[in-house]
Amino acid sequence: MMDHAFLQDYLPILIFLMIAGGMAVLAVLASWLVGRQNPDPEKISSYECGFEPFAETQGKFDVRFYLVAILFIIFDLEIAFLFPWAVSLGYTGAFGFWSMVVFLGILTVGFIYEWKKGALEWE
Amino acid sequence: MEAMTEIGVFEIGMTHYLVLGAMLFMLGVFGIFLNRRNIIVILMSVELMLLAVTINMVTFSAFLQDLTGQIFALFILTVAAAEAAIGLAILMVFFRNRGIISVDVVNRMKG
Amino acid sequence: MVEALIFYMFAFVLIASAVMVVVSRNPVHSVLFLVMAFFNTAGLFVLLGAEFIAMMLVIVYVGAVAVLFLFVVMMLEIGKVSMKEGMVTYLPVGLFVGLVLLAELVFVYLGWEMAEGAADRRLFPTPDASEVANTHALGQIIYTHNVYLFQISGLILLVAMIGAIVLSLRTRPGVRKQDIADQLDRRREDAVELHKVESGAGIK
Repeated sequence: MMDHAFLQDYLPILIFLMIAGGMAVLAVLASWLVGRQNPDPEKISSYECGFEPFAETQGKFDVRFYLVAILFIIFDLEIAFLFPWAVSLGYTGAFGFWSMVVFLGILTVGFIYEWKKGALEWE
Repeated sequence: MEAMTEIGVFEIGMTHYLVLGAMLFMLGVFGIFLNRRNIIVILMSVELMLLAVTINMVTFSAFLQDLTGQIFALFILTVAAAEAAIGLAILMVFFRNRGIISVDVVNRMKG
Repeated sequence: MVEALIFYMFAFVLIASAVMVVVSRNPVHSVLFLVMAFFNTAGLFVLLGAEFIAMMLVIVYVGAVAVLFLFVVMMLEIGKVSMKEGMVTYLPVGLFVGLVLLAELVFVYLGWEMAEGAADRRLFPTPDASEVANTHALGQIIYTHNVYLFQISGLILLVAMIGAIVLSLRTRPGVRKQDIADQLDRRREDAVELHKVESGAGIK
């Protein structure tokens, strides 16, 4: 299919991933095995101060975080397009350069729009 | 192309990747039908389907030695990210107005 | 051999996490399994030699899109209980449609044959990876041969940005914001008034 020479470069990353996964599994497993687990009604009922000992991990978020995340996605994609452009600029030359300038110009229109609209302000 | 025909267990050919893509796509379709109560999971299933399509694109690109597939995978990913952003924005406005995100009530959006 | 094992590892985890995305009861778990699926797909792409797409998947999908999903799941407080109601009623339909699609894909694959001379008609043949890296090879054709696609994707991103702002931006009225230019622009004459107050008269 293709030459596999470059896959050797990824071997450290693979080993890293395996070690990271192994550590994570080990940590969870160890705390599950070593920890004493005999729940009784007193332990799992509400605390005296009114808090629940076990609660949902979901907390309510402000909607404005969402807008920031969306704008982050858009600019993240823009930057992802910048990588191959930067690498191959010597080959693509002036046409590649101006093509990217137009692309960035289009997104700058959006950037000006969101700036003027106040989407970047936190109140 | 000889890469197509070989189906060995330890010789990974085009077939393996295509089967993987088909399975992933099927899981996405399955998820859309299964999670009628929750549009978020439906959007995630759509992401899975787009991922399956991307896998197919990259597979063909790699085995036919043509970069076009990867270019298209790149643009699929771009469009998918934009789709997720807009879809979730619509979902949030819908939730704010209705307080529910079940598919059964989405037809009230018309009119 | 090693490559095959790595492929099976990534593929197995990918399918397993895709199943968990679909059947998981808690949407937060669904999102986290989606991240897992994206990550394993990135591994498969590296195995296929598409390094740039793999890295883009990690940066854009794991880094941004999954976080967006997580935000939305966190933002909308949905009861877990009511969510999976009706899962069983739709199970047969889902299975049926899924299997029909799978059968169709199998038929397509079995009946598919490479056309004569298709290998000579490649649009952008992949250069040798030892000479031109994947990212470089992609960059050579995205910005020149595919310039229209590239600009259209820019426009799509613009539409997504504006659409998201229109849909989800709510400015609360009556919020007092700091305006630094206004503050710096303030002169003594605008702010301070000096009056000579006569004893017992006061100021109106």
